[in-house]
Amino acid sequence: MSTTPLVAAEQLIRTYGTGEATVHALAGVTVELPAKQFTAIMGPSGSGKSTLMHVLAGLDRPTSGRVVLDGVDITGLDDGALTRLRRDRIGFVFQSFNLLSVLTAQENILLPLSIAGRAPDAAWVDQLVGVVGLTDRLHHRPAELSGGQQQRVAVARALASRPAIVFADEPTGNLDSATSAEVLALLRRSVDEFDQTIVMVTHDPGAAAIADRIITLRDGRIVSDERAGDGIAVAERA
Amino acid sequence: MRKVALRGLLARRVRLALTALAVALGVMLIAGTYVFTDTINSSFDRIFTSSLAKTDVAVTPNDDLTSDGFEGVDPIPADILQRIQGLPGVAAASGGLFDESGTILDREGEPISNGAPNFIASRAQLDRFEAFDVAEGRMPSGPGEVALDKSTAERKDLEVGGTVDVIGREPRKRYTIVGTVQIAGADSFGGAGVALMTLPEAQRMTGKRGAFDQIDVAAAEGTGAEALRRTIREALPARYDVRTGEQEAAQLSDDIREQFGFLTTALLAFAGIALFVGAFIIFNTFSITVAQRAREFALLRTLGASRRQVMRSVLTEGAVLGALGSAVGLGLGILVAKGLKAMFYAIGFDVPAQGTVLETRTIVVSLAVGILVTLVASLAPALRATRVPPVAALREGVAMPETRSSRLAFPLAVVLTSAGIAALVAALAVVSDTTTGLTLAGIGAAATFIGVGLMSPKLVGPIAAVVGRPLSRRLTGRLARENAVRQPGRTAATAAALMIGVALVSFASIFAASAKETVAGYIDRGLIGDVVVQNKDGFTPFSGGARELLAALPGVDDVAAFRFAQVRIDGEDKGVTGVDPDTIGAVYDVTSGDDVIAGLKDGEIAVSSDYAEDEGLRAGSVLTVRTARRAQLRLRVAGTYEDKAELLGARVMSNETVGREIGASRDSYLFLGLADGAAARAAVERALRRDFPQIEALTAEEFKDDQAAQIDQLLGLIYALLALAIIVSLFGIVNTLALSITERTRELGMLRAIGTSRRQVRSMIRQESMIIAVIGGVLGLAVGVVLAIVFTTAIGDIELHVPASSLVVLLVLSAVAGVLAAALPARRAARLNVLDALAHE
Repeated sequence: MSTTPLVAAEQLIRTYGTGEATVHALAGVTVELPAKQFTAIMGPSGSGKSTLMHVLAGLDRPTSGRVVLDGVDITGLDDGALTRLRRDRIGFVFQSFNLLSVLTAQENILLPLSIAGRAPDAAWVDQLVGVVGLTDRLHHRPAELSGGQQQRVAVARALASRPAIVFADEPTGNLDSATSAEVLALLRRSVDEFDQTIVMVTHDPGAAAIADRIITLRDGRIVSDERAGDGIAVAERA
Repeated sequence: MRKVALRGLLARRVRLALTALAVALGVMLIAGTYVFTDTINSSFDRIFTSSLAKTDVAVTPNDDLTSDGFEGVDPIPADILQRIQGLPGVAAASGGLFDESGTILDREGEPISNGAPNFIASRAQLDRFEAFDVAEGRMPSGPGEVALDKSTAERKDLEVGGTVDVIGREPRKRYTIVGTVQIAGADSFGGAGVALMTLPEAQRMTGKRGAFDQIDVAAAEGTGAEALRRTIREALPARYDVRTGEQEAAQLSDDIREQFGFLTTALLAFAGIALFVGAFIIFNTFSITVAQRAREFALLRTLGASRRQVMRSVLTEGAVLGALGSAVGLGLGILVAKGLKAMFYAIGFDVPAQGTVLETRTIVVSLAVGILVTLVASLAPALRATRVPPVAALREGVAMPETRSSRLAFPLAVVLTSAGIAALVAALAVVSDTTTGLTLAGIGAAATFIGVGLMSPKLVGPIAAVVGRPLSRRLTGRLARENAVRQPGRTAATAAALMIGVALVSFASIFAASAKETVAGYIDRGLIGDVVVQNKDGFTPFSGGARELLAALPGVDDVAAFRFAQVRIDGEDKGVTGVDPDTIGAVYDVTSGDDVIAGLKDGEIAVSSDYAEDEGLRAGSVLTVRTARRAQLRLRVAGTYEDKAELLGARVMSNETVGREIGASRDSYLFLGLADGAAARAAVERALRRDFPQIEALTAEEFKDDQAAQIDQLLGLIYALLALAIIVSLFGIVNTLALSITERTRELGMLRAIGTSRRQVRSMIRQESMIIAVIGGVLGLAVGVVLAIVFTTAIGDIELHVPASSLVVLLVLSAVAGVLAAALPARRAARLNVLDALAHE
């Protein structure tokens, strides 16, 4: 894995509050994430894993340090530029699915493209829908889908615009183990088959095992950074 | 539990403020109306009390039959004064004039007012009875001198030492201004202009030579006012009213109260509309907050709170909100009263409103109505709150339990709407008593609005689909549409509040357009003369001298005068129209029976065929009418006529009879037939400008425009008052949007996270608001059109004319209003912190 890093973070510090109540969510994190790799960020509650993801994805600004994503220093961008960056180059998968209940599955999948006003790549979308196994549920609304189906819609949504990187925040947190495995397998496949870059935050070691690399945080610092084992096997065992 | 309710209110301060405003604006108009009219009344009381302070007994002609704009009461002749002076117990008596038929002209030769009366008054013969105080200069002492009320002098820049032209029953005359006067410390006599002259000059100008409008009597030492009143009463015929000074002042006050009573009622009606709209907003806001707090209520229930306690907690919120809103409304009302005075001043009525009269009644009514409306509106949501099962506290994403009645809601709504329309028809077509009719019409309208409001959840979807279609090409528009119909009940209630205002505005505009069209039709049908002469204010009758003046001009071929008077037939007041039988045929086209009208002789009456049928009259019958002079006139029915132009009404007599027997000596309209060419018209205008500048000559087209302008002026006033109800409903939209945005915070966070720009978020909220507003607009237009059809059909005399372009403009304005209402909520939604929003529950 000697490719140029897709995301490079340098000396990230993120503090909340002032005075005695100051919390160091990130206390100096330097990390490089190469393209086409599946990275899991782990750590207990309060370790700073979510903050790291938010800062890397341009949802939050570091107190100091900088993030270069896909060749762009995002720490200096204004809100409009960050919004465009997220729209065009980043995909998101959330713990609570966060689908729009008023739109159908298909409309939810195409949402990022609609926001951008871009015409979808029909072949790609068809392929994607097939991969996530939703071909016959496309015209259902989220309320008519199971949790696993909803999260698969969310994964498809994240991939639909062919983003440079997908951030997944506890994507299996609201799912039972069987559907968790489905969703994890889907994420794995998108890296292996579509060369997608994925960063997943999780506190579940079983889920993290599917990644290529596991970064563990504690108290705002990286405490370990290691290659994972045979991720697919782990996922299939779960 | 009360603490929970109050803490809850504090936690939602902005919502609280917006919702309280929905009550406050209605209460504001209630309080403003009361304060304004009370202040006027108390000022008039002071004027009357002060001007009659030295009068122990006042004698006036009895005028139980005449009302504004009608004449008919003869002044008191001088021999009555002599008779009074000879009575025992009388120390002094003198007569004075206070005649409403004057016109004071400004420096440009135009009438000083366009509605407020101008009085020609006489200076008191005895100083003890003088009601006016000299503010500057002195009292008039010769036939060429006049004193003006200070307000008129100041407003119109008529200075002491200068001149002023006054018209009475006699033509225009120029006077030297020798002074300005006040009455009871007020600069104006209740907004009216006063030209104070010597008694003989006033008598000459008003055509009341040797006569008086009032006789003031002072009691001799040792004689009580009441005893003196009885003595005079016995000595005078019944056609004179004899009152003590106090009674007379009270009587005058009552008359004024009655005159302003209409204004009070009208303003309160608009306040009622605003409150009704406010009730929709409160109901909706409470429904939403109760739904959002379902878990909180469930938690309270789990902790042992009873249903009653939950209900009381919601109602406490309502009561506090109502009290707060009412208190704010009351405070604003005092400002509104001042605003109303300024508005009246601006249109020429310097109503006396000294100080601010805040009566206990005003406070009690404002607070009670505001609180009551809020409580009633929050009752249904409070009941719903009690239905949340305790177990809901433990579940995620609790939905409010559906009300059991919801399946019945639609049929019920249809029944309610139909009943409301039926009540409206009944109010217009069946009920003859005005108060009952208006009450029934109000209830009918309210039922219609509530009915359509209940129906509208089913209509929201289809209307939004149509309205939202052009927007749906973009994602923001598509989401806006979906969000607007996500909670149809909520959108419906929000839109329904706007619907009420839009319905009333469109109804008023259709009704006004129909009235204009109808009047224009009347003019086309009836007027065959070349020119109509009328007062510039459009309604005040003018001296018969104008007719004589114009008839003598070269090029004026025919002049026919129209007078309107009132008589009593079988105990009911009825109008009669006076015409000139000889000339009317040349200038006015009666549909049928023109020979009957042309042949009217003195002592005869012609009746419309409808009236003849109703009363069983025919040519040769005798109709007995009572006049304002308390005389019984036996009139021979000359025949029947039909007048599709509606000017003549149901009863027509010759002007000769009307003038001599009923006492109506002034004309309301002159229709002229002119020789060809511009010379005749120019001669008419010249003559009017010289002698009677308060009246004008209009061609048929100009006359139509003038009538239309009068209708438009009234319409403008109605629009202004309805604007309040519309503003209230816009607060409702703001409120609903804000609450919906709170509910959808996480969704907004997700949209922002995946790349939706702030501008797109704003645009989405604005479009949602616009859709809600247009739904309200469409429903309002529909209801307005239906109401207009019902009204015009029930009244019968009006041709329905729907001003399509106005209605389109109204719809566009609704949409614009929706966008404006969204400004703040959209900004807030766009500014949400993405991470906080994503973490929002």
